[in-house]
Formats: sequence, C-alpha cells, structure tokens
Amino acid sequence: MTIAHGLLPEGLRDRLPPQAEAASRLLHHVIVAINRHGYERVSPPLAEFEESLLGRLKSARKQDLLRFVDPVSQRSLALRPDITGQIGRIATTRLNHRPRPLRLAYGGTVMKLRATQLRPERELMQAGAELIGNDSVAGVIEILGMAVETLKIAGVEKISIDLTLPDLVEKLAETTLPIEASKRENLFTVLDAKDAGGLAELNATGYRPLLEAAGPFDQAIEKLQPMAEKLGFADRLKALKTIRDSLDESVHVTLDPTERHGFEYQTWIGFSLFGSGILGEIGRGGSYTIIHQDKREEQAVGFSLYIDPLVDSGLGQKKSRKLFLPLGHNPEQARDLRQQGWITIAALDEDDDPVIHQCTDILTSGEIKPL
Amino acid sequence: MTKPLVFAIPKGRILKEALPMLEAAGIIPESAFLDKESRLLRFKTNRPDVEIIRVRAFDVATFVAHGAAQMGIVGSDVIEEFSYPELYAPVDLNIGHCRLSIAEPKRLAQDDDPREWSHVRVATKYPHLTHRHFEARGVQAECIKLNGAMEIAPALGLAGRIVDLVSSGRTLEENGLVEVERIMPISARLVVNRAAFKMRAGDIAPLVENFRRLVGVADNVA
Repeated sequence: MTIAHGLLPEGLRDRLPPQAEAASRLLHHVIVAINRHGYERVSPPLAEFEESLLGRLKSARKQDLLRFVDPVSQRSLALRPDITGQIGRIATTRLNHRPRPLRLAYGGTVMKLRATQLRPERELMQAGAELIGNDSVAGVIEILGMAVETLKIAGVEKISIDLTLPDLVEKLAETTLPIEASKRENLFTVLDAKDAGGLAELNATGYRPLLEAAGPFDQAIEKLQPMAEKLGFADRLKALKTIRDSLDESVHVTLDPTERHGFEYQTWIGFSLFGSGILGEIGRGGSYTIIHQDKREEQAVGFSLYIDPLVDSGLGQKKSRKLFLPLGHNPEQARDLRQQGWITIAALDEDDDPVIHQCTDILTSGEIKPL
Repeated sequence: MTKPLVFAIPKGRILKEALPMLEAAGIIPESAFLDKESRLLRFKTNRPDVEIIRVRAFDVATFVAHGAAQMGIVGSDVIEEFSYPELYAPVDLNIGHCRLSIAEPKRLAQDDDPREWSHVRVATKYPHLTHRHFEARGVQAECIKLNGAMEIAPALGLAGRIVDLVSSGRTLEENGLVEVERIMPISARLVVNRAAFKMRAGDIAPLVENFRRLVGVADNVA
C-alpha cells in the first residue's frame, strides 16, 4: 500500500507558521529565564544506547521507549522519552567531578512510544532545570519558584500547583498503615483513581482520609494533621507548609497526598503545574534519586515544562509588522530597519506584490508607509 | 467570569437512581431535563454555575476524562473499561448495583469447566476489561465488540460466551444463558476530571463533599 502524500506517522506533525515560531520563542524565553538562576544548559543527544537511557534513574521502564537496532553497531538504541534521565547520566559521568549542588538546564525534543487519546502527540518539546545533589526544602523552593516565574514569563495566567507526596503511600504500607505486599500494587492503582469504593474492597479503608484530604492546600493540611501525627508524617506536612509559604499569593495551591500519576520515580515531593485555559498538565517535577556507577545514590530535584500545550493555547505568538522592500531600495537602510526589529520582505522582481506576502508597510523612497 | 461546571449524566440504567441523589447534593435540573420528548442535550440547573449534559454512559467517561465535562456519574464498569488516567472516582455512590459476569448457553455449561479454558471467543461491550480479566487468568480471549444485545450472540453462533452486566439474571435466563463466572461487582461512581479537580478545587471539592456525606448517611441507615 502506498502512503498518501503528506501523511505523517501517528502522533507526529508539522508545526507551521505562526506556531513554529511561537514554539521556538517560548523555548528561548524558558531557557533564558532558567539560565538567569545560574542553571547552565546542557544538550544531550536525541538517541542513546537503550541501556544507558534506562540505567541511571530508579524505576524507568523499557516498554516506554521507542527502540531500534542501530544498523551500524547492531546495538539497541532508543529515542529519549524524557531528558531528565540524560541529565542524570551527565551528572554521574562527565560532570561527576564538579562540586555539588550542580545546576543544569535543558530544552529539546522528546519522543514517546505511545500517544494516548488524551495527549495525541508523540513528539514533545521539553524544557527544564535540575538541581543535583540537594533535595532539601530550600532546593524545592528554588525549583518551584523558578517554575512559576518561568511560566509567568511564558505568558501563563493563573497558575495552579498540585503538591504530592509520591512515596508516602508506599512508606505507610510498609510501616504504620500496613498492607500485605501482594496487595500493594492494587492499592496504588485504586488510590491513583481516587476510587473510594475500591479501597473498601481491598480492606484498606485506613487510607480513606488521605483520599478525602485531596483539595485546596489549607483545608487538606487541616484534614491530614491528626492522621499525620498518629502515623508519623507530621514533619512532611511542616515541610509542605514552608514550601507553600514561599510561593506568591497569586498561585493557587492544592495538595494531593496519594497522587502517583507519572510520579513513579519521585521520592518525597512531587508537583504538577496547570494554567487556566490550558487543558491538562503543562509541567511537573519533584525530588528523585540518581544512581551512580558505584551504586551510590544522589538526591536531586527538578522540573520540566512542556512547550506544546502552551503553543496550542496560543501563547508565544507575536504580531509583527512586515515591511515590503521594492526593487532598488537601499540595502543599508533595510539592514538598519531589521536591527530595529522590522521583518522585511524584499521584492524579487517588478511584479512582486506586497499583499500576497502579508506585508503591513512599504518602503517608498526611503520612507515607511502603511499599506 | 469562570465557565460553568459541566456535569455529565448517563442515559439509561443509572439515571433514575442518580437524579434524587443529584438533587440531594444541591443540583436540580431544569424541567426540560425530565421531559423525554425534549431534544436538548445541555440543560441548566438551579445553580447558575452548574450545567448538565445527558450522554451515553461510555461517553460520560470520555467527556470527563478529556475535561469537556468536569464531573459526572458513571458505572465502575465504564471506568474500568477505559481506565483513563485522567479520571478520578472519589465517591462510590452506592447505586446502580450489578455485576460484570461471564455467561454461556446452558447446554455448554453442563460439561464445561472454566478452569480448563485456554482460548475463548467472547461477545462483549467491554473488550479491554474482558481481555485484561482473561489475560490475568492465563486465558487468551478473542473479543467481539458489540454495542448491545449481547445475549443473542451465542444462539446465533457469533461467539460461544458473553461478558455483560448482570443484575437479576432474568435477561440471561430468558435467552437460555447461565452465569459461569463473576468478574467484578459494579456500582455507580462520582467521577471528576483530574486537572479540574486541582484547578477548580474551590468549586468541585464542596460538591464532592456533598456526595460523600449523602453516601455516608445512606450507609448508616442500611
């Protein structure tokens, strides 16, 4: 069967004007904003050996990779589904000797194996920052504050942050709120879906207050406090409060103590970022563990933003004025005008028409005239 | 002004039981909602900030998962079939009880031992759920997706067995079928879109709380 001309594989697309421009503008703004906090950019490759892409992070999964055999080396390569893992590799190899904490920034394309019905793109633009060697409350405050600042610069209004405690349920299941090991996977699934009915079926109603607490930050903390004191996680709530207090008032904060969606490798804290008018998540992050070659573990915290939902919601576009340069214009004057920010379209022949090039102005005898 | 919350209600089985519950939770639909002749799909309620849509049960899950509706009521069968990661089911409403079961013709059941199955051909509205269930049991299931009237599939030779909702078991019996295995108990759940649950927590959390309280009261009486 022949492939229709122009058909792209599932989940891939061409970005056209003006979105292509908006995407690169947003990426640039984000990287610059992160860079101003002293995070230096690194740029790992699009594909790597499959094993090294998997190796560095705890609980990364093989089945999430788009893999192929390199015809040259005959070894399995994979396209990166996420840049965070590569940052971990850089931190434990080439930058292993640099003093900690290490502040690194990145931005580029990632490729998912599967598109979902809810997010049909397989190729996404990811940008973010990682603080390696420190996952303290102060580190989380720096990362989260930077995420908010960056989103504001990108033009996102009304930011919502959902704070989560990714390893809390697992810790409780092992200690103060025991659930037999064989039932734990089920428990996580039920809690992920906030399925109160499912909890009862698992005889795990002890976890119900955690489900019911999810909501606006202050109320959630209030509901959790008695349970936290009883089950020994009050210090975590205290840390969360310090983090909440560091965020500016305009940011809407919720707390969800059982959320684990996509936080499989996060440790004590995770967060999702939302923006009003944009469907779904626009970024996420949290603390995690990087594993060194000698099995030593190092703590880190970071955040990633996805540029595509921002572009799709219309951010990053700039209406610019286009100036038509007829034949015989002064090239030096045109260069000066471009330096002032004008976009110029130069006539290629006598019949060239400024209208088909969507020009807003025309240069006639050295003067700019609106069209 | 913020957009109104859209609440999705399924046509059919659950609707009758869901309505009183919705009213008790403080959402009373306009009268056109109850009018069977009405061709409207979107309805106002007593609250200016809440709208109702009436769609098929499977579509409730889809509307809510995509954030086109923020909340809804739907059976756990539908939730399990899609297993959308964006769908929360914070309250078991304790209505619309039934079970999802495997059934086969009486004749077949007489000398059939489900423990010996290695491959089955099943007609069902729930191909994913059915696959998952049989796979976990180590049985390969070939599912034929139907949208209704599963019960006639075995008699016409479309598939040997069916996976469907069973409440009293009367429909099965009338079609010469018997239940041979229960897959899971089903009840209706309040569902909420994940992103809306965070971003509009101020509007949604009190409603969820209302439903929770209603179910709690029902528990005490029972």
